[in-house]
Amino acid sequence: MLARPDILAAVVLLGCVSYACRAGGYFLMRYVSLTPPVQGWLQAIPISIVGAILGPIAWNGGPPEWAGLAAAIGLTWLTGWDFVGIVGAIAAVALMRGLAV
Amino acid sequence: MTIAAAAASRSFASSFCAGAVLIWVMMPSIVLVGMVFGVMASTVGLTLMEAAAFSGSVYAGGAQMASLQGWADPVPLLFVGLTTAALNSRYVLMGATMRSFLAHRPAPLVYTTLFFLVDATWILAMRDRDTNYDWAGYLLGGGFVMWLMWIAATMAGHEFGQLLGDPRAYGLDFMLAAFFGTAAVSFWRHSRRVTPLIVALVVAIAAQKLIPGPWYILIGALIGSLTGAIGHARAA
Repeated sequence: MLARPDILAAVVLLGCVSYACRAGGYFLMRYVSLTPPVQGWLQAIPISIVGAILGPIAWNGGPPEWAGLAAAIGLTWLTGWDFVGIVGAIAAVALMRGLAV
Repeated sequence: MTIAAAAASRSFASSFCAGAVLIWVMMPSIVLVGMVFGVMASTVGLTLMEAAAFSGSVYAGGAQMASLQGWADPVPLLFVGLTTAALNSRYVLMGATMRSFLAHRPAPLVYTTLFFLVDATWILAMRDRDTNYDWAGYLLGGGFVMWLMWIAATMAGHEFGQLLGDPRAYGLDFMLAAFFGTAAVSFWRHSRRVTPLIVALVVAIAAQKLIPGPWYILIGALIGSLTGAIGHARAA
């Protein structure tokens, strides 16, 4: 069971922090009116999150990571099926890392 | 508010089932990442129940794994709290985009649904946004089924994870990147916004170099998306 009180505290704290993130953005939008600029901002969020996550991965990565990103994007683009993109990306990364060793 | 206003939207039950089924596309990867977390949790000395409670309450692979990097006895609460906040800050932006999906539903249902909001369900909802689901049902269905699998995978990894070997060799650490790589395609097809993408990309890379911790995701995404507002203000 949860024997150590500091671990229990961490589980509760991190759960609260995570929920605050999930509910916080939704809650705050209650006080923001949907003017055209706000709508423009909301519509740009998805692609911006993609850029902010993938940019540093591509920058810090090497050929395996580049191949993985190319496979994820290329295969999803061609097949229209997310699953193929994910499996292909993982396979590409594993293969390239295996070849490098 | 076009999504909320969609005529003759599907029932809660039918949308819940659709979400619970469509999420299986993501499931193999979620199970593997959950197992990797379970292995890491047993390595730092968490018991089976502690690891399961961790996954059940936080429900965010990146934040959970990053927190374990700084694990000690006693647990450094400030460090793990800030790490979790930094990695999960992207959910603040995702939650903001959910307003138009959920605003017309009762608050208790919406705030329960938001507990189960994860990258995978958010990506699927954004991909399918032109359909007429009851989005509370759709997100809850996918999020709840995945939450159960996430806890089960954590426990399986904790108990039997040694059989997995080195997850890096199988490219499993690349899962989040693969998710967002596939999401990039559907997001790009929906709205071809070059400026926010490029700005977010460049700012995130710069922020990662300059600011410690994983805050670069929020900083890049926030500044990138704000360029979308500027573009609209000019057009309007």
